[in-house]
Amino acid sequence: MVTADAFDGERPLHPAGAKVLLAAFEQGWASPNGGSQASAQARHLLAAAREEIAAGLGVSADEVEFWGEPALISPIAIMGAPNFSVGKFVVGATERQEILAVGAKARAMATIPVSVDGILNRDQLLEEIESNSIVAIQSANGETGVRQDISDLSGLVGALNAHLHLDFTASGPLIKLPSYWSTADFPAKSWSGPAGLGIMLINREHRWANPLAAATSASTKRAPGSFSLPLVLAAAASLTGWLQDTSKESARIRALITLMRTVIKQTITDVDLAGSGAANESLPHILSASILNISGEELVNALSREGFAVASGSACVASAIEPSHVLKAMGLLTHGNMRISLMHGVQESEVKRFLALLPGIVERLRLDAGA
Amino acid sequence: MLGREMSENLEQELELDCMGALCPAPIIQLGKAIKTLSAGGTILLRADDPATESDIAAWARLTGNSVATLEKYVYRITKR
Repeated sequence: MVTADAFDGERPLHPAGAKVLLAAFEQGWASPNGGSQASAQARHLLAAAREEIAAGLGVSADEVEFWGEPALISPIAIMGAPNFSVGKFVVGATERQEILAVGAKARAMATIPVSVDGILNRDQLLEEIESNSIVAIQSANGETGVRQDISDLSGLVGALNAHLHLDFTASGPLIKLPSYWSTADFPAKSWSGPAGLGIMLINREHRWANPLAAATSASTKRAPGSFSLPLVLAAAASLTGWLQDTSKESARIRALITLMRTVIKQTITDVDLAGSGAANESLPHILSASILNISGEELVNALSREGFAVASGSACVASAIEPSHVLKAMGLLTHGNMRISLMHGVQESEVKRFLALLPGIVERLRLDAGA
Repeated sequence: MLGREMSENLEQELELDCMGALCPAPIIQLGKAIKTLSAGGTILLRADDPATESDIAAWARLTGNSVATLEKYVYRITKR
C-alpha cells in the first residue's frame, strides 16, 4: 500500500535507522566524552558510525563532522573558508536561500544566472572566480531536481585553487563527491536519516576554520559537538540501508518520473516542466510543473483531497509572499506550481492514478478561476 | 473583480488594472483580455503582485504573445 507520502518530499526515517534509534534511546547511551565504561562504549559506537558514514559518502572518517543544527552547516562552512573576509563569494542563482543570505556577510558577491533548464552559466562562473573566491555550488536543486555537472564545475574552481563548498541537500549521496572540493553539506535527511542531524565534510587537504570556534567547547573546535549520539547511529544505519535501496530503486523511479513528464506534457496545455529531464541534468525522483492560470495552493489542496501529498513553490500558497526564487531565476511560471518527489516503494499504479486524475483537476481549477 | 478596469483608447489599446490583485489573478485576467483582441492589438497592464514580473514573461513564452516592461508594474502586451 502506498500512501500519499510517496509523492511528497518529506522522507520518512529509513526502517534500519528507526530500529537503531529506538534501541539507542531505550538503552540510554552515555556521553562519549565521559570517563566511564558506558562512555567508552559510546565513543566506540560513535567512531564506528563515523567510519560507516564516511565510507558511504566516499571520504575519510577524519573529514566527517556531525552537527545538530543541519541548517547552519552550509553558512558556517562558507564563512569558515580562509578567504571569506577578503574574497568574492560566488554562488548560483538557484541556491538555497540560507546560502544566498551569506552573501550579505561577504566582501563581494557574484550571483551566477542559470539557463531556462536551470543549468549554471559555466562561462560566467569562470569569469567570476578568482583564486581567493569562495564558490558555493549545489549538486542538485531540491525544488526542481535540476542537477549540475559538479565534476566539470569543480574542475574549474580547482584550477584556481579557490574554496569550493558543495551543497548536497537535495541529492544526498545520489551524486558522488568530485575530486576537488573543500567543504560539503549532507543533511542526514537526504538519505532518509533522522531530522536534526547534518554532516559537514571538511577536506583534510584544504584549510578551514570554524567561525564559531570561540563559542564551542568541543575539543576539535571544528563543530559544536552538540549532536545526539542516537541520531548519529540512526543516520549511519539509514545511510547503509538507503544506499542498498537506491541501487535497486533509482532506475525504476526515474522511469516513473519520465512517464509523468511525458503524460503531463501531452494532457495539460500551457505547462512549464522544470529542467530538461535528461539523466545527467536531473535527479531521478523529482518533478516540478507549473500550470498556467491556476493557483498553486488550490492545486495542492485538490491533489491532497485525492490522497496525493505534493509541495508547491508558488507564491499563491498561504505560507509564501514572494514567488520561488528558483522558478523565477529559470524564467518559469511561478504560479500553479507543484513539486513531486517520489519515494522508494512508490507504486506505478499510484502514479498512473495521479496522471489520470490531474487533467480533470486542472480543467476544473481553470474553470473555477474563470480562465 | 479585484479592482479590474478595462477601457479602450483611440489606439485600440485595452487598459487592465490589476494593482492589488494577487497571483495568479493578473495573469488570468490578462489571458481573458487578450482573447478579445485581434492580432497586433495591445494591452496596457498594471500589476504589482511580486509574481507578475516573472510570470508575465513566462506567460508570453507559453502563449507566443510579446511583452515589454514600460516601467515598474506597467507592461505593454502585444497579441501575436
